[in-house]
Parts: sequence; structure tokens; C-alpha cells
Amino acid sequence: MERVVVTGLGTLNAIARSAPEFAGALRGGRCGIGPFSVFDPSAFRTQIAAEVKDFNPRDHIPRQYPIKRMSRADLLGFAATLEAMKDAGLDPLPPELAEETGVVIGGGGGGLLEGERFYGDYLRTGGRLARFSALSAVYCASSADRIATLLRLWGPKTSFMTACSSGATAIGYARDLIRGGKAPVVIAGGTEPLCRITYAAFNALQAVDPEPCKPFAGNRAGLSLGEAAGILILESLSHARGRGARIYAEVLGYGVTCDSHHMTAPDPEASGAVRSMRESLRDAGVSLERVDYVNAHGTATPANDAMESRAIRHVFGDRAERIPVSSTKSMTGHTLGASGALEAVASVLAICHRFIPPTIHCTVPDPQCDLDYVTEGAREADLSVVLSNSFAFGGNNTSLVIGRFEGGNG
Amino acid sequence: MDRRVAITGIGIVSPLGSGREAFGKALLAGASGIASVAAFPVESLPCRLAAEIRDFQARDFVSVKNLRRMDRLSAVATAAARMALDDAGLAVTPANRDRTGLILGTAWGGTDVTVSFARVLVTEGPGSANPILVPNVVMNAPAGHASIELGFRGINTTVNHYAVSAESALAYGAQEIRRGAADVLLAGGADVLAPFYFESLTRFKALSPLQGGGPEGARPFDLRRNGPVAGEGCGILCLEPLEAARERGATVYAEIAGEGMASSPAPMTGWPEDPRGLVLAVRRALRSAGCGPEDVDAVFAAASGGLKPDLLEAEGLAQVFGPAGKRPLVTALKGALGESFTSGGMRAAALALALRDGAVPPTLSLEEPVRPLHFVTGQAARAKVQRGLLNGISHGGTYVSLLFSNIGEES
Repeated sequence: MERVVVTGLGTLNAIARSAPEFAGALRGGRCGIGPFSVFDPSAFRTQIAAEVKDFNPRDHIPRQYPIKRMSRADLLGFAATLEAMKDAGLDPLPPELAEETGVVIGGGGGGLLEGERFYGDYLRTGGRLARFSALSAVYCASSADRIATLLRLWGPKTSFMTACSSGATAIGYARDLIRGGKAPVVIAGGTEPLCRITYAAFNALQAVDPEPCKPFAGNRAGLSLGEAAGILILESLSHARGRGARIYAEVLGYGVTCDSHHMTAPDPEASGAVRSMRESLRDAGVSLERVDYVNAHGTATPANDAMESRAIRHVFGDRAERIPVSSTKSMTGHTLGASGALEAVASVLAICHRFIPPTIHCTVPDPQCDLDYVTEGAREADLSVVLSNSFAFGGNNTSLVIGRFEGGNG
Repeated sequence: MDRRVAITGIGIVSPLGSGREAFGKALLAGASGIASVAAFPVESLPCRLAAEIRDFQARDFVSVKNLRRMDRLSAVATAAARMALDDAGLAVTPANRDRTGLILGTAWGGTDVTVSFARVLVTEGPGSANPILVPNVVMNAPAGHASIELGFRGINTTVNHYAVSAESALAYGAQEIRRGAADVLLAGGADVLAPFYFESLTRFKALSPLQGGGPEGARPFDLRRNGPVAGEGCGILCLEPLEAARERGATVYAEIAGEGMASSPAPMTGWPEDPRGLVLAVRRALRSAGCGPEDVDAVFAAASGGLKPDLLEAEGLAQVFGPAGKRPLVTALKGALGESFTSGGMRAAALALALRDGAVPPTLSLEEPVRPLHFVTGQAARAKVQRGLLNGISHGGTYVSLLFSNIGEES
């Protein structure tokens, strides 16, 4: 069976404009959560988010690519894709490889930011003066379509929308496409914009902390919403070797499960989370002892963090206390559909740059969260296997297992 | 060792009724699901026809307790998922629930819920936003509701890629069964009509007759076509490893023997200029099934009556299968089902039934074909279908082809 490796990374998020900058920001414990300008939050009960500040698409996307009508999500996703392709040595992409290169993107709000502006016009004018073309990119499938069209790709293409686990599922599925011989190279990841509808939805559920989120802390009071794109170039090992590509890490396995419990509340027994972690490790063929770090879902909602801590303890037993667990959402905010992909980028960077990202803002202990959350700042560490969790509304859970590339042909 | 993928159950909520038998009979009889829109007012709009779901009561399939939390799309998808499991003769039990799952394709999700939420947000402000609506705003709500109602705990995911969402979900499901990541997977697609969504389709000139003159109506592959008619519905298949299905003595409708996926450069809401992407998808499906164009007996086409996509597909089929020969038979069921964007689930069910029954339903309203393919028109064609191809094509340039194979003679 083909092994699948990561040969390129790209990201834009609230703490970094590129993957190398992201490594430094994660190591430095930079907080990207604060006042923001994508829309006016003054009427909301909270006023902060993790925004990609002063995002000018043309700083990232050369003029050869027309970007008319692309949504903020599309633009973030395409900008990160260009970075990742360049990083992988695939810019320009040889035509014979474009023929087979695939795209799998996990989305969330898609073009809702633009869609809600349209909808305001629509309601105000009784539908007469609204420009429906503003809805062209309203669905998250648009991001994958734009990537494939602008890079002239002919391989498999699909989009997932499972709320907060979309990005992780996209990476897992892309792994399967490569393993199944459907494509030698797949652009995989997620993109998510800040938008009023999402912000209103999480605020209506009273799930947003008015202060920067505090994952795993005793005084945690909800999540901080964020926006980001995270893109990984996945490639079969033989293809990467054949072209002499630099290999960052290996996608070892993934697991997808569901809670079958409640639409918005996690299962307090944590069965779905336990099973997604176990399934990902089984799929990866990795024993529990080899996991060096858990990049947690860690949203900072009271229910998730207690549930996830319990699930990690359940999966790892006594060893759970000795495995560093951190939530990079404490820095990037919760980027929903992109979060699984963004955290996969973070996991690869942690492996390559030999450090464990911290959980910031976690200063008040919680007896329900009794693991090592790396609260004192980044830690130097040689990581061989990272487990990254993404859990979502609807009870959808995806866990990814990413490992240092150990060589060999396996 | 890859496992073979068997289709053992079918769940249908459609404009031609609920359940596989009513649906299959209506298709073979040449019945149309298209009529004047009944669910909401369309007098002010230029398009007034749609294929709306008929003969469906959600409470026949979904518990009252869970039903009251569901939007209509979730109820439709959950009902079809239950039908598919029941049809397969499977019950979700503590022993099998962790290896049982659902991969659902939806092009648009619960548009009515999102619009309701957005309306209050825009008109009254964030303080009035209704938290009760939030769970159903997300695209993965139907699959989440189905898992709660049916009790399965394995793979659960939602594919959201326009008009190939259902075919992509089936391709994903087949892949996961094949590699052993699950033992039972429900896979298919669901979308439902709602007022704002319907209006949007008319404003994008996506419906008949806005793509040209002539009366409103769905005429797939016909020279006089002037756009699709909007539709809704849900088709879900139950997939299992063939060996396990045989061991438990299950009825096997067909095998999913291959999948092909492709992309092509295309305008944002438009179509590419040539059929190359479709040709790639079909050839990839054939290759993954280890067969050639001469092995295909029937094609269940994606054609909807759209000006560009129908021509692309006809040209693509001509390129793959050569000039009109005896085979394959070609039929386009969106003439009866309308364009629901995830009719791939319903059409996959129809293809599975065609393999079982040896009959291919006709393409309705097709009189002057855009290309001389071997179209089934007028009435159903009685024919042994050993291998059949299901096509999905989407605006934006995405293509999925699935090859179904009859295993009747093997066992």
C-alpha cells in the first residue's frame, strides 16, 4: 500500500501569513484573538475574534490568476494553496501532473460573509435590487473549484462540510485517494472566513468567551471564533521520491466516528472521541506508546474540554498524564471548517521544528482537565507521532495521526 | 486485500413516491414527478414547475421525539437512511453500530433554516438570533440527526460539492467499504426545495425556460431543451462487503465495481467548453473496475435539460463509447426526477434496480436527440444489464462516474 507524505504547507491565519511564520508564532505562543474588522460586532454580546488582519489577496495571489467574485474563504484557501504548491516545488505544476492532481477541501461558512451582505440587500429591496451573482461562491465547494480551475487541475475533486471536523476529514480522505491510486498528488486542507452568521450562531448558543478563549482552564467560558486557511500537499511516497521532493511528515492514519448522541453537545461519555482516536491509531498501525503529543480539539467550551480530557485519559490510560496535550486554538481561535487542516499544519510544523506548541491563557486549573496542557510555553521535543483531534456539531469526530517521516519504503 | 462492495439496500424519498418499489415501477412506467409547484407560491416567478417529493410522511420512518428537532431535509434523509437499512434487512445493534455509518451528499443543505436564521439576524440584530435553528444551519445536520435516530456510531460525514455530492458520497462509501474502514455504510444524497432557494435558481437562470425559448419543461438531451426543472428528493444505498452480504444471505442488487473522479477548469457557476473532464471520469471508472467501454450495457446520464451540460455529456459519451452502436443504452432520469442536484442517490438506486430487473427506464420528453446515442425513449427497454454507468456532472467542473456490475451469475 502506498505511503502518503506531506511535501508542502501553506497557511494564512490570525497569527501567521505563511507556514514558516506559523511555526515561529506557535513556538512563541502568539495570541491572534482580539478586536477585528471583517464586520462590526458592536451589537453582539462578544467583540473579539481571530482575524487574518489586513488581508489583501493580491499580496499573495499573482495577477495571472483572476479572482473576481471569489469569496474571502476562496481567497484565503487559494493563497494558502499557492504557498503550499510553491513550498512543494510544484509551482509551476507540470501539465502531466496537473492531469492527475486532486483537490479535497473542508469548508464551513464558505461565502456566507458575502452571502449575508447580499441577503441584507435582498430583504431591503424585496429581492429586486439584489445581485444574485453575489451568491456564486456562497457554498464551500467554491474553494475547491477555484483551486482546480486556477491551477488547471484534472484530478479528483471534492468538498466536505462537517462543521468543525471538515478540514481533518478532507486530509484523511485525500490520504485514501492517494492510497487507492486515484491521484499521486492531492491538495488537501480547509478554509474558513469570519462571518456574521457564524458569529451570531455561536453567540446565540452562548458558546463564545467575551475574552480570548482559555482551553482546559478552570475559568474557560467558551470558544473564540477565528478564520484561516490551512493547506497540505499530500503525495504518494513513490511520487515524492521520484521527483526528489522534500518530505515533511507522513499521514499515517485517520479515524471518523460519530457520537449518535446530540446535535450540539458532546457525548459526556466521550465514546465518539475515544473511538475516533482509537480508529485513527488502528488505521495508522501505531501503538499508543508511540504517540508523543496530542493536538487537541480544545475549543475551550466547558463541555468539550472536560469530555476530551476524559477521552484522552480513556484511550491512553495511565500514560495520559505523561503525554503533552495542547490546544493551538488558544492562539488561532477556532477556525471551524479549517481548524482540522490548520491543526494538521501545526502538527507537521511541530514535528519538523521539534517543539510542542503551548496552550496559552490556561492559568486556572480545572479538576476535570487533569492532563499536561503545556501551559508554561512551547516545549522543545522530538516528536515521532502526533495525534490531532477535531470534533464537530452533529457529533462528527475525526482524528488524524501524523508522523515524522522515518524513511524506508514500508 | 480489497473487499468487493455490494449494494444491499435502497431507501428512496422522491417525486415518484417513497420506497424502491413504488419508485422503480413509476420510472419504468415512464411517470413524471414534475408538476406545478405546490409547496410555496411561485406566481411571481418565471418558473413554476418542480419535481416535489410525493407520498411521504416522515413520522412513518422517524420517531416523534427526534423528528421535532429536525428540519425537512434531515427528516427526508433520515427516513431514506432507515428505509435503506430496513431494505437490507439490517438492524443497528451494539455489536455492529461502531462499524456502521452514513456518508451523505447534499448540495445545498437546509437552505430554509439558514434563510430563517439570517432573516432575523439581518432584520432584528444578533440579540434576536434563534439558537434553536443553529444545529440545522450546518450542512452536516441531516447526517447527524440520522445517526441519533438510527443509532449507528461509525463513519459519519457530509459531502458538499454541488451536483456531484451524492455520486461523490457513493464513491467515498465504496472506497471505505473496500479498504475495510467500515462494515455497513449508507451513502447517497438529499436536497429539498424551499422558496428562497427556488427563487435563487430562477435568478441564476438555472431553470427552464430561462435558458431560451419554448415552454417550461425538462428535456434532457433534446435539441429543444431550455434548462432543467428543479427537483428534490433523497436516495440512499446500503453498502456492505460482498462477502459479508453473501454470508448473511442478503439480497445483492449490484456491486460497485469502480469509481472515477475528475475535475476541469470551469467558470464559477458555469460549464467548461469541452467534455474532457467527463471523459476522464468515465475512463477512470472503467479502469478502476478493470473493464472497457465495450463492457458497459447502460449509462444513467447526468443530463438535466441544461443547454451546456447535456451537450458536454453527449459528446463525452460519444467520445468514450464511439458512434451510436448497439450499446450502451443511455437514459437521463432527470426528465422524471428534475434537477435536485443530489439526484445521484436516486439515480444510483434506479441503476441498481435496472441491473436486478433487466429493464432501463426511459428518458422523458426526449424527441430530437442532441447527438445520435442509443437513447431509451418512449418506454422502458427490456435488456440484460451486466454493467451500468452512473454519471454525475456539476457546474464548476466536477465529474464522478460510478460503475455498477451485476453479480447475479457469479453466485
